[in-house]
Amino acid sequence: MNARFIDWIWHVRGSLALAPEQSSEEAFDRLDPLFRETGTSHERISDTLVFRKKDQAAQDKMSIFDGGVLQIEKGAAGRVLRYHLTSRALLFCFLAPLLFVGIAQLTMVVTKLQKPSSEAAGKAADAKKAAIKAADVPMNPIDKALGAPAPEKPGKKGADEVKGRNKKPSSTPAYVFAAIFATLYVAGRILEDRLVRRLFRKRLLGA
Amino acid sequence: MTPRRDIGQLPVETRYRGDKMDGIRVGKRVIGTQAPVIVGWENIPRVEGGPVKRFVFTWFQPTMLFALLAFWFYAPNSIAKASTAIGIGIGVKVLLLGLEWVNPRYESWRLTWKELATDLFYVGLGYTLLRIIDSYIGSDVMVEAIQRSFHWDKFRWFMGLPLLVQAFLISFIFDFGQYWMHRGMHNWYPLWLPHSVHHYITQLNINKGAVGNPVELFLIGLAIGGFFDFLPRAALLAGAFGLAIGTYQHINVRFNSPRWWRFLFNTTEHHSLHHSQDYEATRSNYAGAYIFIDRIFGTCIDGEAELLGMEGGRRMSIREQMTYPFTEGWKTVRVRYARPALTTGEPTMVAAE
Repeated sequence: MNARFIDWIWHVRGSLALAPEQSSEEAFDRLDPLFRETGTSHERISDTLVFRKKDQAAQDKMSIFDGGVLQIEKGAAGRVLRYHLTSRALLFCFLAPLLFVGIAQLTMVVTKLQKPSSEAAGKAADAKKAAIKAADVPMNPIDKALGAPAPEKPGKKGADEVKGRNKKPSSTPAYVFAAIFATLYVAGRILEDRLVRRLFRKRLLGA
Repeated sequence: MTPRRDIGQLPVETRYRGDKMDGIRVGKRVIGTQAPVIVGWENIPRVEGGPVKRFVFTWFQPTMLFALLAFWFYAPNSIAKASTAIGIGIGVKVLLLGLEWVNPRYESWRLTWKELATDLFYVGLGYTLLRIIDSYIGSDVMVEAIQRSFHWDKFRWFMGLPLLVQAFLISFIFDFGQYWMHRGMHNWYPLWLPHSVHHYITQLNINKGAVGNPVELFLIGLAIGGFFDFLPRAALLAGAFGLAIGTYQHINVRFNSPRWWRFLFNTTEHHSLHHSQDYEATRSNYAGAYIFIDRIFGTCIDGEAELLGMEGGRRMSIREQMTYPFTEGWKTVRVRYARPALTTGEPTMVAAE
């Protein structure tokens, strides 16, 4: 299978037309500051620029990318900058939902394993807690005067408490995070594509 | 408490002199010799903009605190539940993310997609994997054990106190424990190793508190906050103190916090200094919510820093954040217990020519 069918997940490609009179040399000179960031190494060989990034700063405008190739080609309508950038951050974000779905599955297995022991512990704790409850102690007069609701009578509250403390881990948060990362991936893939294009354009055309 | 006295007579900001910086004397120590820091409230930038904006960013923090306290004080029992608290917590975080957008403290701390994704990865771990681990060996188990062996009748006096006093005491006890755990992390190498990862963050944003090696997140979670869950309303009010104060440790929003607020409570200013690239500055402001604990023990410095992180602000990848305490610990052990011949740097054998 051709890798291009899937590598769009973490590869960002694009092209930008250069100004008619702009030479490759001048275009790369304008882009140069982007590759002088901490953790970035780059090499220029005639019409091609290759860069690598490691431990890139959060403040680096291209921090999402780990490497790439920029080439200036002669098109029918003039010179064109073609770029091909790779981003592990995008790849990991794409895979993150799988991780969280896995965690959700793990949670369900753990919940099953914990069931007998936690029920027993819940009962024991309930028996002990029955010794004293907020409702057993009269409310402080200040709270009464200020109008705070009185604590709930035992019985019902006991059940709540057991639920609160001995809560079995739920798989819901893991599914929620799987959805969050799926959304984040889509947003990131579109946003970062646009941002880097805008960044290159601004550099190439800017004064 | 030594710091405050000297501040007025001292330079505004640490200044570069070639590759060295002067630093500022604060009590017995000199901070800001390795990276620029600001010391003293009068030197910290203020909110810029019209009167409405300045008003909002001056009174936002106290208003949120009192609104949350009032809500939990008066909410009917059917609403005063942990699930409501989780919902409010998420809502407040989203609101604060909006404020980061509108009124950032520093442009260099601006939240990017990559930073958001990284932070959310840790938040996700906290809500999922760490919960599972906690249910086996963490705070849940500890709280359970303590609650079972507790002599409940001795606790009646506490339950008779006004709700807000109970809530403050719960959050204060919790924060006092956090203070010493945190100070321990900065002073004892085995605890520093897992905590060091959190100090590699180079900007403060709303979810940055969740970033760190999972071992540290587990250690922090050991604080027995859940112990008070038999006092639901007081525990929820205590949570409101945490949410409305502790959240501002990691946030990229410029506030004009009122004087009384910043005297009592930890602020972004305090915590940015704690995360500064300057080593001496990081050894201050350990409390999570109540900075007056630092004032009591002489570790408080009122100031701010923009350049954060370790090793000159090197950003650590998630992979390294996961392994760093172990690889670094292993390196240290090897150096310490290596045979002398290996540490001298001299070759033990010379190759035959």
